[in-house]
Amino acid sequence: MRTFWELTKTSFQRHLTYRAATIAGLVTNFFFGILRAAIFVALYDQQAEVEGLSLQGAITFAALAQAFIGYLSLFSWYELMNSVYTGDISSDLLKPMNYFAFWLAQDLGRALVNILLRGLILMAGYALIFDLIWPRSSAQILAVLIGIALSWLISFAWRFLINLSALWTPNARGILRFTFVFSWFFSGFLMPLRLYPDWVRAISRFTPFPYMLNSVVEIYLGILTGPEILLSLLTQLFWALALVAAGQLVLRAGVRRLVILGG
Amino acid sequence: MQHALNLYFRLIGVQIRSQMQYRASFALELVGTGMIALFEYASLALVFERFDNLGGWTLGQVAFLYGMSEFSFGIMDMLFGGFDPSFFGLNVRRGTFDQLLLRPVNITAQVLGSEFTLRRIGKIIVGAGIFASALALSPVAWTPLKALLATLMAVSQVAFFGGLFIIGATVTFWTVESIEVVNIFTYGGSYMISHPMHIFPAGLRQFFTYFIPAIFLAYYPALYILELPDPFGMPAFAPWLAPLAGLGVLIAALAFWRFGIGYYQSTGT
Repeated sequence: MRTFWELTKTSFQRHLTYRAATIAGLVTNFFFGILRAAIFVALYDQQAEVEGLSLQGAITFAALAQAFIGYLSLFSWYELMNSVYTGDISSDLLKPMNYFAFWLAQDLGRALVNILLRGLILMAGYALIFDLIWPRSSAQILAVLIGIALSWLISFAWRFLINLSALWTPNARGILRFTFVFSWFFSGFLMPLRLYPDWVRAISRFTPFPYMLNSVVEIYLGILTGPEILLSLLTQLFWALALVAAGQLVLRAGVRRLVILGG
Repeated sequence: MQHALNLYFRLIGVQIRSQMQYRASFALELVGTGMIALFEYASLALVFERFDNLGGWTLGQVAFLYGMSEFSFGIMDMLFGGFDPSFFGLNVRRGTFDQLLLRPVNITAQVLGSEFTLRRIGKIIVGAGIFASALALSPVAWTPLKALLATLMAVSQVAFFGGLFIIGATVTFWTVESIEVVNIFTYGGSYMISHPMHIFPAGLRQFFTYFIPAIFLAYYPALYILELPDPFGMPAFAPWLAPLAGLGVLIAALAFWRFGIGYYQSTGT
């Protein structure tokens, strides 16, 4: 366990030093959030509420979606794939530490830097120009915090899983790019899921993606209440555990066929 | 010139052949690139069931802008991939750009030929499909002038974003790191012109009118072709400024590129 926190700490410090990348990310995310918000304003026109989502809620949704990009590494994450192709995976597998935990610890450091330096600053920036919704009760804040933590675990376990495809194919980048688009669509990143036709939402329920973003934002906005919140968090927990377990199984199968060439 | 052209086509030919070597993986990449464009568009198109218009524009009218912009950006990305700031910046950092400079061939032709990604065809096809759906949803009363303007739109958008890529690439001579803020103008600009520009905040819109003339590449020509009123009261020739904006940016970018090469002092790697 100590190694885990040490790894998290060094990863945290390493990502802290990528200052130029953080600022560039901030500026770009901020810009796109403003464009997304403008699209909601134009779509809503005179309607106060659509499918339980108010215009103010939709704008807050757009802000939160941008704030989550860095935290969940929503656009791309090829680190494990690259380590397979460079051969670094061989020494990583030899480390006296569970391979999943080895990457989990590093991603935790990365995620923490991003939620502190990008997520929070973005939300503060949006608060200056938009009238955002904020959680009301301490119970709601607690539920949001648990939801945010679980969304990271789901996101990481899923990224770990799809990166393992590099153990089978020499060209995993194409597969990864493809699956990332899926996550943008079904997580609600591109558009809040409740605004889609019902059949799209029905499909999304069979995937873990709504629990990476959409469900947490709905708790945040107060759309989900009481037992719905509990159910949402439990479903998140289920997907997190299922994806972690799937990752372990796939890793075991992949390592069995992994051949490392000496050099 | 003839020599440079021959070399350019040869460089591209080599890349096409190499990318076609792994058919299955190429097919996957092609479909993947197309799906990215398709899902992004679907996220907007699907909510029209609940809202039925975007700032007064129907889905067919928005699809006209969106399809055109995806189509042109895909073509631009394929032709000007060598100037993609993130790709080009890597060449500057690694010093591989120095190798190109040592060869006795036109440098611009070499950079243009250094990256030609065939999978972008996926995005181009989806863009064309969205554009076709636009014409089906809200038919255009075509005239020769409108057809000419639609063609000019596509050409100007390719030239415009190609120019922005070249500017972004040239900036890396000074910054060495590729500056991601350029993405705001390229991807952000492309995102904006895919939507009716009047929905964006006035400050942003004016920036993309007077500083970066993106509004003339899509919005104004679309107003003319779709016969929609102009909410900003620009002169009647505004739709015809598209080629001026597109080629103007490209020519300015090439001049800046020439200047940048003169300044360039390698990283020493």
